[in-house]
Amino acid sequence: MNRKLKSRQVVFVGGGLMAALAARQLVKDGVDVLVLERGRDHDAGPEHRLPSQRDELRWGVRNQLAQDWSIETYTLRHARTETALPVRTLEAFLPGDGVGGAGNHWNGQCFRWAEYDPQLRTRLVDRYGAAKLPREMPIQDWGVTYHELEPYHETFEKLFGVAGKAGNLRGQIQEGGNPFEAPRREEYPQPPIEITEAGVIVTEGARKLGYKPFPMAASNSPHVYVNPDGMRLGACQYCGHCERFICESNAKGSPEVLLYPVLKRSKNFEIRPYSHVLRLDYDRAAKRVTGVRYLDLETGDEIEQPADVVVLSAFTFTNTKLLLLGRIGEPYDAATRRGVVGRNFCHQTNSSINVFYKDRWINPFMASGSSQTIVDEFNGDNFDHSGLGFVGGAYIFNNTTNGRPISTRPLPPGTPQWGTKWKQASADWYTHAFSLGTIGSCYPHVENYLSLDPTYRDAYGVPLLRITFDWRDNETKMSEYVTKKAVELATATGATIVGPAVPRKAPYDARVYQTTHVVGGTPMGADPHTSVVSPHLQHWDVENLFVVGGSVYGHNAGYNPTGLMAAIGLRLGDDLSRYAKRPQRL
Amino acid sequence: MGSRRAFIAGAAGAAALLPIHGTSTAAAAAAPADGTAAAPGAFGYTYLGPQEATFVEALVNVMCPADALTPNGTDCGLAIYIDRQLAGDFGKGGRLYQHGPWHPGKPQHGYQLPLKPAEFFSAGIVAARAVAQARFGKSFEQLAPADADAFLADIAAGKATESRVSLADWFSQLVYPLFQQACFADPVYGGNRDKVFWKLVGYPGLPAFHAQNMVQFRGKPFPGAQTPKSIVDFS
Ligand SMILES: Cc1cc2nc3c(=O)[nH]c(=O)nc-3n(C[C@H](O)[C@H](O)[C@H](O)COP(=O)(O)OP(=O)(O)OC[C@H]3O[C@@H](n4cnc5c(N)ncnc54)[C@H](O)[C@@H]3O)c2cc1C
Repeated sequence: MNRKLKSRQVVFVGGGLMAALAARQLVKDGVDVLVLERGRDHDAGPEHRLPSQRDELRWGVRNQLAQDWSIETYTLRHARTETALPVRTLEAFLPGDGVGGAGNHWNGQCFRWAEYDPQLRTRLVDRYGAAKLPREMPIQDWGVTYHELEPYHETFEKLFGVAGKAGNLRGQIQEGGNPFEAPRREEYPQPPIEITEAGVIVTEGARKLGYKPFPMAASNSPHVYVNPDGMRLGACQYCGHCERFICESNAKGSPEVLLYPVLKRSKNFEIRPYSHVLRLDYDRAAKRVTGVRYLDLETGDEIEQPADVVVLSAFTFTNTKLLLLGRIGEPYDAATRRGVVGRNFCHQTNSSINVFYKDRWINPFMASGSSQTIVDEFNGDNFDHSGLGFVGGAYIFNNTTNGRPISTRPLPPGTPQWGTKWKQASADWYTHAFSLGTIGSCYPHVENYLSLDPTYRDAYGVPLLRITFDWRDNETKMSEYVTKKAVELATATGATIVGPAVPRKAPYDARVYQTTHVVGGTPMGADPHTSVVSPHLQHWDVENLFVVGGSVYGHNAGYNPTGLMAAIGLRLGDDLSRYAKRPQRL
Repeated sequence: MGSRRAFIAGAAGAAALLPIHGTSTAAAAAAPADGTAAAPGAFGYTYLGPQEATFVEALVNVMCPADALTPNGTDCGLAIYIDRQLAGDFGKGGRLYQHGPWHPGKPQHGYQLPLKPAEFFSAGIVAARAVAQARFGKSFEQLAPADADAFLADIAAGKATESRVSLADWFSQLVYPLFQQACFADPVYGGNRDKVFWKLVGYPGLPAFHAQNMVQFRGKPFPGAQTPKSIVDFS
């Protein structure tokens, strides 16, 4: 049955982190907000309670908090000359589902990006000359500066009780923090969380090499913390069930702990779970979206929800897909390199090396999502790329978030896959090993993009989104370079065994989890020929349509994206509030 | 209890006669010595037929032989774990995109068969048995442990092939992940009986409130690793 509901002022598609942050600003200003979320409310479910929360198989291996691929997946091809196939069970990244989105089951690793990141093109051209950037690499400025975003970073870090050590206070480099950090006006709201033994080892090795290691900024609360909205975080239990899990101690900064409970108390806020948005209603002549269509999963009804303003906050893929389905904005065409919707799609370029220490007790099972120690010397443009055949970089760190034994059990090279020797090696090394990782940038390439699949459809009959993506030369060279630096670090730590170093190589592999830092598709920018939304995230062609989230990034850095995304999301809230009062081009 | 054990011994009885079994299924079903209950319902098979069960028991006993470290795979509950997974949501492809058209794809696309995982698992058993028969003149379950082990290594390496079923994919996509899960998942799923693998490696399990331990035992052995607790212990 089809039903039409009464119009609402601002309707968000997708009820994750971005929607909650922007809605927080709007609701305070008295604007009427409705959020449509396809999944359920996770409050008080088995994912949130002991003992069921501590179930590696259910949440960590079967990924039951992430998008259900039987409903909707993506198709993948490595080049546009190939036919894409649906990835039937996707591991490479894990979009969230349900109120709070992936913002509930993230790790809490919380970065501001480098000061130069939003002006990356200008920075690289100024430093190395335009010839350094290949024509196939459409790196672009975002039309916003770090300094415009800084107050919002501060607000987010206070809301989420972020724990860390400043490396750069108003331009003064601080001992113990990240010397490459963008200048901050204030210290972090909380001191760093405890580092693991692996972090002690990385610190020792890094200092020998003259690097300046520092603790990861964490949205995992070291202590009980009350935020400016009066919401409380518990103290982190270092339980090793963070990424892919919902925190049972309410110690992880997440929308369902800190944001939605406040919003739900407000009369001008409503969230509807089990509302899967199918498409936007677009009045082409008026150049306005008039509302959205969604499937009410609890009744089977298709609902027409009119709106004054629509915000896409449904993560990279749905954001891009709804614009393509609605034929809003020109789809990107890789052959002519014209068009915008779908362009600059980027994942993140990572690698890892297993390291083993006969005499050190790593106790991998005692860890928070962010109890890691970082070396940032080879990230982004923190080092001189003159004479190197690539741009970008990665941070190097001990990737120790857990000791969940199905997945986190590094074994020395040459160990058989089963049998007595396999068991013996598992027993010998489980608590004496960890993975040294690199999390690296992925810059855009003209042949990496998103479009609609011509063949495959989701469970509701809507075309699947098609990913055309592979690792290109710039990224594989970067990965080779930084992975070598990681090997040097591993060696400097005095590891008993340094496992094989495998830099990222093509072909892109959908079977291997990399990160859920997948960005681009609807980039922001000052030039409508290369961006989908303006620097204020307003659609260039459709004034009452906004897009927020990683999809607005023009490139991916070697940093986790959510700290920056959150600042952008809060700023959008303020912009929307202005727009709601006086609709105009911002 | 007695009659259920007797029934199981009958149903999978053939397995007990075969050379690569340390102990029979019936013995595996007995309560663990330290009195902790095995996962409820961890007796008998709900998906695997008798011949398949015999195969899987032989398989897990090769991959996890009885030795100084653990009992054999069957006694660790590994076959039960695999059976339960195949019978449930995983085996049915509950979270798997299952619409055509179907093409083989590249390895990086992952699983691309119209078969549900449980069906693929069964088809692989038929194929592996056939290849073993052709190669050794006996069924897989009757192979001497060393031969069975080498045969599995060939399957994993793509050196034991069958014209219709890719045994290498069967092994890497289904058998091996299920085997690792069977060993290390919470015993509530029927494997890792008596937390034997958690004890082996020193994973303390639940409740994992490590805020103090994190400081007190940083870089030191953690005593709780000797006596892990599982979901079963908190249920
Ligand atoms: C396992 C994991 C670990 C992570 N760790 C980190 C980390 O440590 N540091 C970091 O910086 N980032 C991390 N991230 C990324 C972080 O979670 C995301 O960047 C962040 O949640 C994005 O916010 P969002 O609001 O754009 O998307 P989400 O929070 O995912 O919200 C999007 C919402 O939209 C909904 N939706 C999608 N399609 C529809 C539709 N058609 N109709 C209705 N609703 C829809 C989804 O169900 C979802 O709830 C991690 C992600 C994952 C999955």
